[in-house]
Amino acid sequence: MSADAQTAGLNIAVLIKERLPDIPFEASVTKTYADLRVPPESFLALITGLRNDPELSFDLLRNIVALDMEDDGLEAKYHLYSFAHSHAVQVTVAAPIPSFELPTLTHLYPAANWHEREAAEMVGLVFAGHPDPRNLLLEEDLRIHPLRKAHPLQKPEILQGIEDGPPGVEV
Amino acid sequence: MSTTWPEENTTTTTGDLDTVDMTINVGPQHPATHGVFRMVLTVDGELVVDCEPYIGYLHRGLEKLSENADYRQAMGWWDRTDYLAGMCCEGAYVMAVEKLADIEVPERAEYIRVMMMELSRINSHFMFLGAFGADVGSFGTSFTYAWRERERIYDLIEEVSGDRMFPTYFRIGGVTMDLPDNFESRCRWVLASIRQGLEDLDGLLTGNEVFVERCQGLTPVTPEQAIAWGFTGPMLRATGLPWDIRKAEPYSIYPKLDFEIPVGNQGDVFDRFHVRLAECYQSVRIIEQCLENIPPGRVLAPKLPKTLRIDEGELYLPTEGTKGEYGVFLMAKGGAQPYRAKLRSPSFCNLSALKDLVVGSYVADAIVILGSLDIVLGEVDK
Repeated sequence: MSADAQTAGLNIAVLIKERLPDIPFEASVTKTYADLRVPPESFLALITGLRNDPELSFDLLRNIVALDMEDDGLEAKYHLYSFAHSHAVQVTVAAPIPSFELPTLTHLYPAANWHEREAAEMVGLVFAGHPDPRNLLLEEDLRIHPLRKAHPLQKPEILQGIEDGPPGVEV
Repeated sequence: MSTTWPEENTTTTTGDLDTVDMTINVGPQHPATHGVFRMVLTVDGELVVDCEPYIGYLHRGLEKLSENADYRQAMGWWDRTDYLAGMCCEGAYVMAVEKLADIEVPERAEYIRVMMMELSRINSHFMFLGAFGADVGSFGTSFTYAWRERERIYDLIEEVSGDRMFPTYFRIGGVTMDLPDNFESRCRWVLASIRQGLEDLDGLLTGNEVFVERCQGLTPVTPEQAIAWGFTGPMLRATGLPWDIRKAEPYSIYPKLDFEIPVGNQGDVFDRFHVRLAECYQSVRIIEQCLENIPPGRVLAPKLPKTLRIDEGELYLPTEGTKGEYGVFLMAKGGAQPYRAKLRSPSFCNLSALKDLVVGSYVADAIVILGSLDIVLGEVDK
């Protein structure tokens, strides 16, 4: 199963390189899908190509994962799927430091709206051009990024009111 | 002598009635929102002109907690995401960990897991059928019909795992314990009861003209729209696209099983209802095949490490949850804890299109449309 996933992943990466020769990316394979690591300046061109090229036609944005890579800054991973060709790919992009700004995909994939809002509040990515950049899961005026590695996991004693402590640490 | 009252005299008024937009707050504590979900509707008369959903009331920090617990400990929290089908959630999580750590699962355990996941799926769909009937106006009847079967399924799950809603029955590498001796006869009895319950609900709802009139043609969705909004699961299949991850990207023993993918044709509220109803029959078929073909053997992989450590790797594993694509992203960077755990929850994606679905419909229909999305807030809020 895993070997099949590896070959399928490599085949997709080769096909994408063939169809979009001008866009630089590094391909590797995860346990399930191919992973394309793209520099932030080529990111929008790659996603647009993946979506609009008839041989690729990745029409479903499944998921966005925002990661805090500590010393390497913030990253976002996008999972795309194509109904026409039944193939899938993962795109990784590291956000530029210190602005952590990535272009929004809401104009290409309306489904990106809530995923981006979640990624923005949880690790502090900024999605330029997002139509509604408010907090989604956290309180509206809370400016913390709980999924940053520096953000502490709160002690249960504080939550239970036995010990005093800060309600959340500003990052 | 006849008297003309002033308000009866409308000959001097011109144009339509002047109406003022009004804001209605629904939730977060409201029976129609199926949990702690709030939506602010702006209405012009009976028509909804704007809808603003607010979520996060049940946010428990699943991902942060999972990143601070070892791989086995985190399972209990994943149960509590889609709390109507705990087994499906823990199934997705353990499969992701196993794939990341290259752990082989004994075949008997795979069969047990699939049976439990399909029982959970039926359980979740019964919750939908009951609650949706109540949303549309059958009041308590559909609820009580559905609850009879749900209790029987919960009893069976408790007999197998020791707990009803949050069993934590799966283990990385298999399941906790083998099935009880009388499982097959008990399960067949429950399946017969489920079939009866489905027929009862089918007769009660599909056979009811008022119900059909309310649902048919309400917010039809095309496959293109559904894909753009990120719909998966019954919401997508109602539009006519036969896409089920159990077939499209199969996992566990699903390739060995014979079942069909029920689809709708216009993606309206009635199709969403009907797809879920038809899926329950397919799940019953799957469980029957598992009962016939389940092999003997062990239920937990041998020689598992006491503390599971994974050096490096990442994966995104999609599974067919009860509401759609329930995907788990895991990234390991050494140690006993995942570096990053992320849940792609289907209800979250389906709910994000609520505004587009509701605007332009009547207030009473907004409740029906929200009900037809079949959200579970534990999964939306993580």
